[in-house]
Amino acid sequence: MAGAIRSLLGLLLLGGSMTLAANPAQAHPHVWITATSELIYAPDGSVTGVRHAWTFDDMFTTYALQGIETKTKGAYSREELTPLAQTNVESLKEFAYFTFAKADGKKEKFVDPVDYYLEYKDSALTLHFTLPLRAPVKPKELVVEVFDPSFFIDFTLADKNPIKLVGAPAACQMKFERPNDGSAGAQKIGEQNFLSGANANYGAMFANKITVDCP
Amino acid sequence: MRLKSGLARTLALGVAVVVVVLALDSAIHVLMAQNPFGGPRPPAEPQSGGIVGWLLAKQSEFYREMSSTIRAAKSDGSAVWTLLAISFAYGIFHAAGPGHGKAVISSYLVANQETARRGIVLSFASALMQSLVAVVIVGICAWLLNATAKTMCGAEKVIEIASYALIAAFGARLVWTKGGGFFRALQARQPVLTPAMATAAAASHHHGHDHDHHDHNHAHAHANVAHHDHDGHHHDHDDHGHGHVHDEHCGHSHGPTPSELAGPGGWRRGLSAIFTVGIRPCSGAILVLVFALAQGLFWAGIAATFVMGLGTAITVATIAVIAVSAKDVARRLSGASDGGGALVMRGLEFAAAGMVLLFGVGLLLGYIAAERVTCL
Repeated sequence: MAGAIRSLLGLLLLGGSMTLAANPAQAHPHVWITATSELIYAPDGSVTGVRHAWTFDDMFTTYALQGIETKTKGAYSREELTPLAQTNVESLKEFAYFTFAKADGKKEKFVDPVDYYLEYKDSALTLHFTLPLRAPVKPKELVVEVFDPSFFIDFTLADKNPIKLVGAPAACQMKFERPNDGSAGAQKIGEQNFLSGANANYGAMFANKITVDCP
Repeated sequence: MRLKSGLARTLALGVAVVVVVLALDSAIHVLMAQNPFGGPRPPAEPQSGGIVGWLLAKQSEFYREMSSTIRAAKSDGSAVWTLLAISFAYGIFHAAGPGHGKAVISSYLVANQETARRGIVLSFASALMQSLVAVVIVGICAWLLNATAKTMCGAEKVIEIASYALIAAFGARLVWTKGGGFFRALQARQPVLTPAMATAAAASHHHGHDHDHHDHNHAHAHANVAHHDHDGHHHDHDDHGHGHVHDEHCGHSHGPTPSELAGPGGWRRGLSAIFTVGIRPCSGAILVLVFALAQGLFWAGIAATFVMGLGTAITVATIAVIAVSAKDVARRLSGASDGGGALVMRGLEFAAAGMVLLFGVGLLLGYIAAERVTCL
């Protein structure tokens, strides 16, 4: 009996330490994106989609531009960057364009992006694209979050006027939240996620959240 | 070592319960929860936000400093030293993240009767290989062929799939080998009526402690040992002599001793572990290399990559040593000299082998998220 208890103890101890070794700690971002986003409204006051402009950090910009032939060295025209923009939007599909919308609490889906192009300015690449909603919505409360659930990409809203409402009814009010620097905010949101059980995804701690209330 | 006092036992039990609860919790988080957006789910451990947040902030800080330091190195050569220092620190922090073979190496070490010393060597060798693969990919794709990021990312993706398949195959092989030992130990446990036989079987698992002369050649005669291509041996322990009882009919289970594995043949087998872990380069290293190449400082990028690997190796080796030590503690606590203890140790090895297999399959199917390849 005593042998069995000791056996069990040994097993538990090792199991614990193995899990410690096996439990993958968090990923950290390798790509930084500075985002500005526009919510596009139809004349009837419904939201039709989101237009993003994402500027990549210099390391990723360099990586993305690797091997791209240009007429003048160091200058990339929109045409020369077209194949890369194509690749970008195609790859983003797998990640749901890192854009998650909820209309009055109901998840909304986006279709494939339109009007996409890359722009190279001040040694940084900016990806422009418009994400149309599958069907326009006219909710009282619209929430759009921009983040990478696995936190490989760090999304930061631009310093000045990062969010614009284009053609929204005058009564609509917009506010946005930036993620905190990870420590205090992560703790707080982390606990919420943990308690609510579902949706406990790590990158959500670093989400940029846009809320529009239209009475 | 026997826990004689009831207090100590209660204490140990308490600790073990806490550990197991934590283990279950994180295992459930990693394995069960699904990403609401359908993609591979990131490993989530939201309740430890404080420390994790700090670690992340540190890593990001180091990583972001790399690009500006490489730029600075173009005009000021001394910035290369700063770059190397940052890379080293980044490597240490970064290896705590997914995709650096901690899990595979630790499980492998536990599954086999590996020594801490070998754990350290394996960690360093695989980190070195990781760095080498990153340099080779960027060297060939970007430097020689001037290929686009899309091509490079394609190459990374192929290597990624191959590395997961390798982990799964490696795990399957370990499970096959260790399963034999476990089930033989299980069978040996059945006829409890013959304690002498059970003891005899157990004594031979108590590696390196109770024999001083271990007949090397006899090992090859055992079915399960045949899976290990070990030869050569030396002895770490030379304690008191012990009558080495052998009885083939007694469900004899016999894994290789650490001393046997430390021989030249053992290294050959360790190579497969190094290769399995080392083939997958770190996305961060590839980004740094491409960036350095574009700045005309490819050599600085290569140096940074290897220093990063050194930092990574230190973290992985530390975790590997903890795993090996924990197994030693487990062996002592479980009292491996009786039949039950031997069974526990075989079971542990079997479980660790299964873990490697699960990792490989989980990574292949996308249930376990590894560090993503740089495809955008």
